[in-house]
Amino acid sequence: MKMDEDILTTLKILIIGESGVGKSSLLLRFTEDNFDPEQTLTIGVDFKTRKVTIDGNTVKLAIWDTAGQERFRTLTPSYYRDATWLNELETYSTKSNIIKMIVGNKIDVVMFYASSYILRLMDNFLGKREVSREEAMKFARRHQTLYIEASAKTRDGVERAFEELVHKIIQTPGLWESYAGDQIHIGEKDHIPQSSCSSYCSLV
Amino acid sequence: MADVLSETVQPEDLKNAASLKKIYHEQLYKNDVTPKAQFEYAWCLVRSKYPADIQKGIILLEELYKTHEEGQRDYLYYLAIGNARLKEYSKALNYVRSFLVIEPGNQQVLNLQQNIKKKMEKEGLVGMAMAGGVVLAVGAIVGVGMAIASKVKS
Repeated sequence: MKMDEDILTTLKILIIGESGVGKSSLLLRFTEDNFDPEQTLTIGVDFKTRKVTIDGNTVKLAIWDTAGQERFRTLTPSYYRDATWLNELETYSTKSNIIKMIVGNKIDVVMFYASSYILRLMDNFLGKREVSREEAMKFARRHQTLYIEASAKTRDGVERAFEELVHKIIQTPGLWESYAGDQIHIGEKDHIPQSSCSSYCSLV
Repeated sequence: MADVLSETVQPEDLKNAASLKKIYHEQLYKNDVTPKAQFEYAWCLVRSKYPADIQKGIILLEELYKTHEEGQRDYLYYLAIGNARLKEYSKALNYVRSFLVIEPGNQQVLNLQQNIKKKMEKEGLVGMAMAGGVVLAVGAIVGVGMAIASKVKS
């Protein structure tokens, strides 16, 4: 079989976040340009790929979509560890060799910016809470993550989110060359306060 | 390339797996296994690269499926994955079908179904290619035989 010679590298992206914030919808929009209003709950992890050309480089994105449900919480962190395996262990959330992005999803529903994101990851149990856009941006700055708002439903910002992520990785030497670490994190705007958001995506 | 069928427990995961295994066995010892502990341990097992582990994971999942109402969809999904990884494709597809009766539009499971069918097809073709090789070899022998025969004739 012919190799894809034009592909620079394969980047692993991990999407994490609370249940119902739109991780799978974001991925479905990005990989198949589709939206399912009745998107079902992800079981464990799901996997999709897409090739993108950014800054003249074609890379393959291998995207892992994790379940947000509580019952998988013990299980999915193995994928973050997995993500940093090629760099160094135990560094997944704060080290500079991982690129993180917070995605505020569901901007089509607006109202509240709800999010609890990496907080949960870092502190492990903070659970859901709502935060304003300002708070979210401040948070993203503090933790040196990229920040973008998107809607998987209307497709606003979805392409851009992944483009910026890949762009950032390509710009960070020593990251993709030895395989990179990188994360997106989705927050969301939602009309119902209870459905808070967050999702976070890591890339090797 | 990785996918849900070929993905296995990574070395760094083994620590996690070991602790899940320990929790399960401690509970088993006390004769009080929670569905959570059993599921988490089974989840590690079906992702192992060793068939014996996968088999064990399947047994644990089957038991959960019969006794624990709440996580049915998860159990069916991993039963399908475990069986597919053991190349028990028809069993795997049966679990997929049971799942789709409950959630007909589930993309994740529809994809899994496709993956399994692709695998079957691929392995079926490999079998045919081997059979083809044998036919070719027989052909060659016949050819040699005929060449000798024609030589003798002349």
